[in-house]
This record gives sequence, structure tokens and C-alpha cells, in this order.
Amino acid sequence: MKNIILFFVFLFFSPFVVHAGGFQLNEHGARAMAQGGAFVARAYDPSAIYFNPAGLGFQTQNSVYAGTTLITPQSAFYGPTNLNLSTKNEMVDQLFTPINVYLTYRITDDLSVGLGVNNPFGLGTEWKDGWSGRFITQKVDLKSFFFSPTAAYKISDQLAVGAGLNYATGDVTIQRYVSDPFDPHGKINLELSGSGVGFSVGALYKISEELSAGASYRSSVNINAEGTAAFTPNRSAYPAGEATASLKLPATGYIGIAYKAMENLELEADYQYVGWSSYKELKIDFKKDGSSQTSPKNYEDTYILRIGGEYTMQQVQIRFGYLFDNNPVQDKYTEPLLPDADRHGYNLGIGYKLNDQITIDVAYLFLHFVDRTVTGTAIDFDGVYQSRAHLLGINLGYSF
Amino acid sequence: MKSTTLCIVLCSILISMLFIGCSDEAPFGLPKSDLGNNTISKYVSIGNSLTAGYQSGALFEDGQRYGFPNLIAQQLIKAGATIGTFEQPIWGNPGNPGSNGKAARIELVSLEGPDIRPRGLAPGTPLNATLNRPYDNLGIPGAMIADFFDTTDVNTKLVTRQNLFFKHVLRDQSKGKSVFEQAKNISPKADLISFWLGNNDVLLYAVYGGVIVAGGTVIPNAPTSATTFDQLYKAAIDSLKNNFPSAKIIVANIPDIKAIPYFTTVNPGVVATYKGVIPFSYQKHGNRGVGDGVTYFTEPNPPLLTLASSAYIGKKGEWYRDNNVSVPSGIDTNQTMGIDYTNPIPDALILDSLEQAEIAKAVAAYNTTIASVATSKNLALVDIHTIFNDIKKNGFRVSGETYTADYVSGGLFSLDGIHPTGRGAGILANEFIKVLNAKYGMHIPYVDISQLPGIPAPLGKYAAGTLLPKLSPQAVKNILELWHRQ
Repeated sequence: MKNIILFFVFLFFSPFVVHAGGFQLNEHGARAMAQGGAFVARAYDPSAIYFNPAGLGFQTQNSVYAGTTLITPQSAFYGPTNLNLSTKNEMVDQLFTPINVYLTYRITDDLSVGLGVNNPFGLGTEWKDGWSGRFITQKVDLKSFFFSPTAAYKISDQLAVGAGLNYATGDVTIQRYVSDPFDPHGKINLELSGSGVGFSVGALYKISEELSAGASYRSSVNINAEGTAAFTPNRSAYPAGEATASLKLPATGYIGIAYKAMENLELEADYQYVGWSSYKELKIDFKKDGSSQTSPKNYEDTYILRIGGEYTMQQVQIRFGYLFDNNPVQDKYTEPLLPDADRHGYNLGIGYKLNDQITIDVAYLFLHFVDRTVTGTAIDFDGVYQSRAHLLGINLGYSF
Repeated sequence: MKSTTLCIVLCSILISMLFIGCSDEAPFGLPKSDLGNNTISKYVSIGNSLTAGYQSGALFEDGQRYGFPNLIAQQLIKAGATIGTFEQPIWGNPGNPGSNGKAARIELVSLEGPDIRPRGLAPGTPLNATLNRPYDNLGIPGAMIADFFDTTDVNTKLVTRQNLFFKHVLRDQSKGKSVFEQAKNISPKADLISFWLGNNDVLLYAVYGGVIVAGGTVIPNAPTSATTFDQLYKAAIDSLKNNFPSAKIIVANIPDIKAIPYFTTVNPGVVATYKGVIPFSYQKHGNRGVGDGVTYFTEPNPPLLTLASSAYIGKKGEWYRDNNVSVPSGIDTNQTMGIDYTNPIPDALILDSLEQAEIAKAVAAYNTTIASVATSKNLALVDIHTIFNDIKKNGFRVSGETYTADYVSGGLFSLDGIHPTGRGAGILANEFIKVLNAKYGMHIPYVDISQLPGIPAPLGKYAAGTLLPKLSPQAVKNILELWHRQ
């Protein structure tokens, strides 16, 4: 117990004064999600492929685990206050449904393999057509799919290690109006896609019957995307046609410790690091005239604190958690493309074991974004962002 | 049992947390819109073409709606001013006729070239002519400082000044013989007045290259003298203060011509195109003969070529023909204008260093008067001179957009290179609002520039890299008519 207290002290007074938010998605299985995403030190279901590949080493069955998360973000921008305006601009309501599918297979008692497919990065913001920020952004949609073949090896009854490859594909759509002196204004529609490769490693150590610790690292993935830029209406001066951009998806790492407080109650606390500082700028190159457009991002490395637990009552498991997600965007570079802010997440969930083979997990997460007031922005678009999101995760598991 | 209790406690804490921060209320600390401790029940704007909302060489509805006074009026209403409809002398699209009877408005007909000229359309008709009182916007295109008190009959001015806007704005003597008298006849009495005159006192000299071209002759001109301007300006403000003792008066000073594309577009284009290759020949101030200034336009203080020159450089005798000026002896119009010593660029299309100095001196003197009157009479002063110079140097950024003082591509100046576009007027309006807010503790919201229209442009080809926009001779004529009709 003393160790746990120390760990919490470490978490909250950590010297890493860095500011995960951004366009990272962290909900990759309803079981983990319901516990604030604090899962790296246990990783006891197939979503270990994402959270900590070493977790597969201790899993005793072959399984299929699949689900989706329904995400409904709501955002409003009040401003621009540098024009002394407090007009409420509401983001268009959208529903996002990132998926997660995991397959695991035990080759021997000590060696397991798995394949995961999920969406660790994604973003969608759309503002009312013609709004004041239309030269900055009208609509953005970013999707990524990660295909992760993974293997884990149980070194001893206490220690397992795991590693995997991440093959990622990314698709992005960017729409905004062209800032030029002419009427009617052209609207640019950029559609780019590309792929990249990264890796994951992890270790899980069972210190005692009650205590376990885990750590994992997912490398950054550089996506070189290409596609087309279309303009409506088109003017021959616009660089319509082929366009390219590269996007570096950040590395992330988890360390965590889990404690069995009672026979039926497990608790865990994690620290997640996200290397957002790799996202310096978004540069789009247009082939037609060799021109490019660069938006400075200058994200900072950040962290997410996660605590959660699970209480088992026969076939039913009650889960709960809390997370604090420190956003990576500096005030100066905050923009309606991604109206980020520090996030508090409140999690609740339930798991139901239908029989020895089939499980159903449901998780709910309320993300409360702290109201964010920005002044002196690089794009001269100051104001107050107010956001929140409801997330509902559902997963089905089948073990054999 | 103990663990069940723990679980219930934890769950209820979590559920209660869900309701933290769920409120739909607007965040705290957003800007408010109000007039502070002030009330505004009537806003009257006095000035020239800038106040009138004139752009691209004409007065027309689509321009007037986005003139800076109307933009200010709309923002005042948002802040709680009870000014009602801001009445303007709207000229229906495509606007007033030029001297050829066709609509004077010049347009971007094609981006290739680019081709900038009037379309030769039938002119529009005045739309608010039956208003039974003076207009709230008393900006008259072409008005000089002396016109504020001038009681000359508007029909007479139609002839003597060859300017149809006095008649258009003031209409008839029964509403007041002068701008001042009409302002006094507006009810309720104005409690906010914007007064911006003086630009034309120097522009009438500058746009014509320091000369008057009339009746087939070219004679030297001069800006309104500093002394005359000083007297007239002081008298105008004194009269306003006496007749509107409780009104807030906001004035603006005069910009530097080097911040305006009419004077800064052709020259850099020429330099970039011909630098060190072709010497350019031009007439210095007062010269009517063969070129006495030969230059590569590379000296420290190069002559400024007016936008009007773009219609004639590289041509032959067209300028003399279009202006009914007989070709002086020694000038050979079989030669290419500007390239050959014997066919220099006429004095009327150029501002040499002497003329530039004359203009700078006049502007400085006017601005000294304006600053001193503003201080002594406690007026709100908008330092447009500094603001325009800053935009010329650094551009202007808002909502992710950057505007510049460049001709056409900059987005702030209309096709005549002198008057602002709707967006340029938005920036002017915001500068006025900024001063009102600071001086009177008001919280008038600013104009959202990104919602204002740009320059209407066809979707055709765009000749990228064209440094020398060419205006048609008719476009040049229409622009210059504001200052002098032939």
C-alpha cells in the first residue's frame, strides 16, 4: 500500500511539467476504457495488443475481442474576442465510431501471437459553412487505421514481454476557404492518404499476488500522404491537382501499477506520455506550382494521468475511472481546427460474463474540456473554446 | 459487505462528477457590447469619397453598403445606439455615369492581364432620392475642406466642378445650402459626428502628377495651401462644436500617398521588368518638352508613376490624343513613350522628387493642423496616416487572413487604387471604433472583416506573375474624373 501511495505522489507531483489531447484517441476496448484507461499494468484482455503487448503472455485462451466507441463531441467557439465579439459559433454535431478488433492465439504455453486493428488517431471538426473562421478551417476529417501483428512471450510466471509492428494508414480531408481578394471565394477540398510503419514493445511484471507493474511504448509513425486538392469554384491561379503532406503521429508510452485491494477489487494508476512535440507544423505541398502552405502547430509533449478499477460480483463487473489529459496545444497555436483544452474524463462501465466463452463490456466516458480562453493567437482568432464529449464503448469477447 | 459499500461510494462519487461542468452557459469573461455611459441617437458622417463609400471609380450601392460609416453605424446599433436606419444617398448598381454617359465603375473583367476597365454598362439610378430630410451620410466624392461651408448651388457645381455628387448628396437648397447646413437640419441632432476631409486637397494635385490637364493644356497645380487648410479646418470644427455642443466628434488625418497603390504599383513593376536594361525618359515637374529625366528607376528617390501611366507606357501618342493635348514641339509620338528620349512619360503621369516633397509637406502640414485641433477641441482622432503606413509595411492580419496594400492582390484597395474595398472599409471602420472605445469607454464590437465582400472577379485565367496591371484608358479617365472633369 505504501508503494501505491508513493506512486500517486509521483504522478501528481511529477517533474514532467509538460503539457495528450490533440487528435489521439485512447479508447481501444470497453474494459480498459471503463477504468480510465488505466490498464498497462494488467492488460488482461486482447486489447493488450494496444495497451501493452506483454499482456498477451499471461492470457490463457485464444480469443476474439471486438467493439466500437460512439463519440459525440460538442464544441462552441465564442468570439473572435479580438474583434470584441462574443458570437457563439457551434461546431456541427457529428458521430464518430472508431473500431477495435483483436485476435489472439496461443502457440505454446509461453508464446502467444495476436493481430489488432484499431484507430489510435482521429479527428473530425466541422463548422457552419461560411462562418467567421472559414479561411482557417471549415471541416477536417482525419482517420487512421493501425494493423498490429503482435507476439508475446512469458519468461516466467512473473514476467512477460511483447512486441508488435504497427502498419498504419491515414486519410485526411481538409476543407476551408481560400484567402484571396476575390469574390466568390474558392473553397479548397484536400483529400490525402498515405501509410507508415511503427512498432510497439511492452513488459508486464507481477511483483506479488496483489501487485503488478507494466510499461509499454508505441513508436511514432510517419505518414507520407498524397492526394488531390480541388477548388470550387476553381480559378487557374489555384494549385489544383496533386498535393502531398507528411504527418508524424506521435509516440506514446505508458507506465502503471495495479493493486488488488480486496479479493474482488482491482485498482490501477497509469501515467501516459505522448510525444506530441513531433508535430511542429502541417505543411501541404502543391505539385502544380511548387507552392506550399504551412500552418505552425508547435505542439508540446504531454501526459495523461489515469486511475481506475474493477469490482467483481460473480458474472458482473463494475468498473470506474478518472483521467486527466493535459492538452499539447499552446495558447498561441490554439485554433478551431482542433479546439483542444485540458480534459477531465469520468468513466463508468459494466462487464457481463454470459458464460465461460462470451463477455459483453460497456463503458461510458464523459470528457469535460476546461473552458479555454486564448489571446494573441498566431492566426489572429482569439476567443473562448468550450467543449465536451460523450463516449460510449461496447465490446464483445469470445474465448476458446 | 464492506467491499460492496466501497463500490457504492466510489460509484456515487463518479456519478456526481459527471455533472460538474455540464452547464450550457456562455463562459465567463466574454466581451460585452455597450456604449459605456454614453447614448448615441444620431450618427452623421461628413467627408469625401472615403466617407461616401465610393470605390473602383464610382458610387454604387454594393460599395456604399460597405462604406466605413455604414459599417460603423451597424456596429453602433449592436452596441445599443438608437440611430435607426443610417440613411445614405444610394446610387443603384452599377452606379453613377461617367462623362461618357456609361457607368463609371471599373471592373476586373479578366484576371488575365489583368484586364481592368469599365464594362460600358448603362448607369444606375439613385435609390433613396425621395428621403424627406438630409442624408445621415454626407460624404461627397470629390469634396475638399472648402466645400464644408460652400453654399454654391449644387446645379452650379455640376458645371463649375464638373462633379455630379454635390447634387446627388445635397440634392436641393431647401435641405440646407452646404454640407454644414444640411448636417444641422438632421433631427434628432447628431450626437456622434465623423469628420474626415482634406484628402482631396492634396490628391487633386497628386493623382494628376502635379498638374492640371484641362482644355487641351497642361498647367502646374498646387495642393491647398497649409494656411488655407488650417483656417478652413479650424473654422469647420469650431462651427461643429458650437452647433453640436454635446456631440462626440471623431476625425481622421491624411495618409501618405506612398501607402496607396495608385502611386506605388507601376513603379516597382517597371523596376522589376526593366531594371538596368532600359533607361526611362520622363518630364520633370513643369517640363512639357523632351525628357529631362532619364532613369533606370533605381536611384534612392525614384519618381512615382501613377496608376494612370499603366495605360500609356510603351504606347506612342495615345496620352496626348485621349487628353486632347496638342503634341508639344520636339516630342516625337512615333517613338515609344517612356523608352525614347523624344517621347518622355508626361509630367501628368509621374511624381518626381520635387512633387513628392510638395505632397509630403502638404500632408504633414494638414496633419499638424488636424492633431492640434483634435487636442484643443478634445476630438477623437484616428491616426490613419500611421495605420496606413503600418499596413503598407507589414500588411494586416485577421482571422487567418493577411491583407496588404498591394494593388488588386492585397484585397484592401479597390480597382481605382485609392479607395478601399469593403474589407478595406472594414479596417477603417474598426480603427474608428477602436478610438471611440478607448476615448469614451464604449464597447462597440468590431466589424468581422472576413464576412465582407472581396473584389468581384471572373473565374477565368489568371496570369500569375504579371507585375504591370494595365488599366484601359477609359478606366483611367473614369478614375481621374473625380478630381477634374474634362
